[in-house]
Amino acid sequence: MSAPLAETLTQLRVGNQKFLIDFYQSSRLLFARWAQRQYQLAAPQAHRLLQDTLLDFYDQVADGRLTLLPADLRAHVYGMARQRLAAHVPAHQPLPAAEASRRQRLLAQFNQLGTDCQQVLTYFYFRAYNFEKMGGKMGFPNATVARRQKGICLRKLYELLK
Amino acid sequence: MSPLTPSTDLRPYFDELERFADGQMSLAEQEAFELRLEAEEPLADAYAAYEQLTADLRWAAGHDTLRLRLQALDERMNERGQALAKTKLLEKVRQRRWMILGSLGVFLLLGAVVAAWYFSRPNTAVIAHDWEDYYQPDPGPTVTPNLLRKRPFLSKTLKEYQAGHYSTALHSLDRVPVRVGSDTVRYVHGLILLRQNQGDAAQVYLRLVGARDSTTELAHRARYHLGMAHWQAKETREALVQLRIVAADSLSPYRALARHIVASGALKE
Repeated sequence: MSAPLAETLTQLRVGNQKFLIDFYQSSRLLFARWAQRQYQLAAPQAHRLLQDTLLDFYDQVADGRLTLLPADLRAHVYGMARQRLAAHVPAHQPLPAAEASRRQRLLAQFNQLGTDCQQVLTYFYFRAYNFEKMGGKMGFPNATVARRQKGICLRKLYELLK
Repeated sequence: MSPLTPSTDLRPYFDELERFADGQMSLAEQEAFELRLEAEEPLADAYAAYEQLTADLRWAAGHDTLRLRLQALDERMNERGQALAKTKLLEKVRQRRWMILGSLGVFLLLGAVVAAWYFSRPNTAVIAHDWEDYYQPDPGPTVTPNLLRKRPFLSKTLKEYQAGHYSTALHSLDRVPVRVGSDTVRYVHGLILLRQNQGDAAQVYLRLVGARDSTTELAHRARYHLGMAHWQAKETREALVQLRIVAADSLSPYRALARHIVASGALKE
């Protein structure tokens, strides 16, 4: 595996998703042709399958199940898509994996939060913005308000999980 | 599986844990909190649960962000694809429209050309009809006993011509000796050819009549038949020229008829 690829995996782990976005953009058409030829999937279904497969890939990287970027990424992703189809995993559901249940439950509750709370928590925990920057992005008057708002949203999420 | 163990309730520790994790404590508070973490097991459990919660939250936010980004990208690509398809379709429709218009134009042009040809072509039926309508045949010289005796072949030709047997008359005319008055033979020859609808050939003989002396009666007569031979050959311009001369010729027995033809407009230049 070349150095740039190793760097890609590290970047992905710390939240830089550009690599997967670019992959989707460049592969969508070819993937849809492949899925149509191999599984008679219509284009919209094939697109959803590729999105779910890339989300699975992201999960594998994020929780440490995948520590090395595959030498042939395209073959790896197509293999994952085959697994999804063989296991009849519904669309927008992850592949069964360790800790998936707990995380999926949190994800489901996260999506129950209001848009502002999702945004605040995403800015702080995923983008790693400080309170000042987050306040600026969200239109809060100052960093203290941003900190309080983040606390309120985190408590809301915790209450939903209890 | 619950995200936290049932015994771990973060609520009593939430403020402290959050301030510690977010770096909001002073250095002294931070050190004191770290000492408590080592000493108080419930606090340590709560801290571990809090760390797990925020780690899961980090993952969920990343996962959800990626999902939304992929969906947004998918929609953008769909819209772009639809726009491209629409552009191609419009281009195809435009090309087809131009092709149809082009074909229609070519068709109309061809129609116009055909119509122009149809309406501008010489109306042979009318001309032929007009020619016959306005033609006054000349029976030629009368066959007298004297003529019959002196010019038997010419007499025979005239009789056959007058009887309407034009082919036989032409055949007989070939036997007429050349020495016989050539204007008469040429005139009769022209008349026969004219009646045989050979206007072109008739012109040759009729034009030679009066070549030596244009004041003879035959010369005056021949000019009318020459005009009619042109008309028969669809040479309306030349026919009109000859008939105008006849119409102005006071010595021509066909003067009145020629005037009538010229005035009727049956012949157009």
